[in-house]
Amino acid sequence: MRLGLVIDLDTCVGCHACATACKEWNASSPVSGPLSDYEPFGAEPSGVWFNRVRHYELGEYPASKTINFPMSCMHCADADCVTVCPTGASYKRDDGIVLVDQDKCMGCNLCAWACPYGARELDTASGTMKKCTLCVDRINDELLPPEERQPACVLACPTHGRFFGDFDDPASEVSRLTAERGGFGLMPELGYAPVNQYLPPREPKTVIAASDVKALLERGLASLASPVIRR
Amino acid sequence: MKPSLSIIFFTVSSGAGLGLLALLALGDLLDQALPSDALMQGIAVALALVAAGLASSVLHLAKPANAWRAFSRFRTSWLSREAVFAACLFPVALAYGVLAWTAEGGALRALAALGVALLAWAVLVSTAMIYASLKPIRQWYSAWTPVNYLLLGHWSGAVLLLGLARAHAAHERSFGWLAGVLGVAALIAKIGQWRAITAGARDAPTLERAIGVPKYPNEYSNKYANKYANEGAQPPGMTMARARLFDVGHSHGTFLTDEFGFVLARRNAVALRIAALSAGFGVPAAWIASGATNAAVAWLAAIVCLAGLLAERWLFFAEAQHTVRLYHGAPRT
Ligand code: SF4
Ligand code: SF4
Ligand code: SF4
Repeated sequence: MRLGLVIDLDTCVGCHACATACKEWNASSPVSGPLSDYEPFGAEPSGVWFNRVRHYELGEYPASKTINFPMSCMHCADADCVTVCPTGASYKRDDGIVLVDQDKCMGCNLCAWACPYGARELDTASGTMKKCTLCVDRINDELLPPEERQPACVLACPTHGRFFGDFDDPASEVSRLTAERGGFGLMPELGYAPVNQYLPPREPKTVIAASDVKALLERGLASLASPVIRR
Repeated sequence: MKPSLSIIFFTVSSGAGLGLLALLALGDLLDQALPSDALMQGIAVALALVAAGLASSVLHLAKPANAWRAFSRFRTSWLSREAVFAACLFPVALAYGVLAWTAEGGALRALAALGVALLAWAVLVSTAMIYASLKPIRQWYSAWTPVNYLLLGHWSGAVLLLGLARAHAAHERSFGWLAGVLGVAALIAKIGQWRAITAGARDAPTLERAIGVPKYPNEYSNKYANKYANEGAQPPGMTMARARLFDVGHSHGTFLTDEFGFVLARRNAVALRIAALSAGFGVPAAWIASGATNAAVAWLAAIVCLAGLLAERWLFFAEAQHTVRLYHGAPRT
């Protein structure tokens, strides 16, 4: 088994619902909760998150596009974060999920240094490393109705931009989507074989002839030339 | 990377101690043993440096109560190997010290000396490999890292060793040469690493690469935008565009920005490189050439050397750029 997520960059609107749902579910998780907050009501609130959404702009205005980019642990097949851990706190399960045993971690940060994707965050309150658990306490919980045995972030996404499943099963939704939409893993050249896959934004449909773009620009209607409007 | 003082002190202090231990033992094996009181002093200084370093490294842990577990992953983790080798080094070095004290010759002492040298090298290499095996940090992920850790440790150890040799008027010439050769080698390694870091910037991963936009020459982006505006070429998709951070998603610092967000001003980098070279190499080299036998001057030279290496190690951290920085908007590492 190679469990992981597919994240659709075409539909993601960057609402942070997945990140918030993740924080909410995992704050009381027996696996690695709580997710400590530092000064939650102070001037500079901060804290531990398993999932963070960043936003990028591709291209130059007016030919630009915003990409919302959620990132959590990729549950890499070749996870150096596990190899470097001196205490054995970090481990990879047979189903592919990478976890941190909170009772063993000594808070040396080495695994966070070894993770290219910023998926690990030290909880300074507990002194231990925290990371996405792939909601291991939901996906295997037989007390939950079957349709809810999904990660909290997947269930929360309002645009249905997140999918959970087994990449070793070619018939699974995640395998099918990855194949159909040209899904890709991040920075494969580093050799971590990240399991989570990202679906690229679809090519916008051209509704304005390319030759009209220059004329539109000249008339100051720059925004009409942007790929988002042109869809 | 955040230059963490506890780790910087640890690697410099234990590096010098380990270098000194290895050279003392090697000298013994090659018939260049210091007189037993000098040898004892040397072992004591070296072990004190290593112990101070290790104590400092524990300060870096967020949960030191679990530090004992670090011995458990010898087969996979360089940090675990470092801990195991360091723990083995102390009893062997103490046994060697006792044999040296009794001025006992023979096979046992040779065996202990060999054990000390091998273990000292094993700890030094393990420490270096912790950094050299981190693929997300291109400045560290290179053979230059272990070469530097080994040579800088031996260079600072050799300065200490020569101080002892001169104070006891024993083998000053051979240890003087040894220090000189190690100094030149360490200097070449250091400058080589700095040059490799600069040269590697050409193929450094970019923000585009990090989020999955294939790599292409940087000038391309502007040209592309103009081309699009003027000719109405294909609009940028995920496959062709320049990317920039639009919003990082958090309002204040996070563990990630704290740990990986450190930015070194170019001006400070140059100043620190000059400080590292002049204190770490220039001053001790002048002392070696002067032939001064005064013990206080020898200590001073060694301390200035170590201070220079602290600046060098600070830079080692400050100039390292983790790939996480790309996701936070750095155009390249
Ligand atoms: S994303 Fe990072 S933390 Fe997760 S498995 Fe990969 S290397 Fe480890
Ligand atoms: S911080 Fe904890 S989980 Fe990470 S490498 Fe250190 S001991 Fe292992
Ligand atoms: S799978 Fe669970 S722990 Fe991981 S990001 Fe989603 S909600 Fe958070």
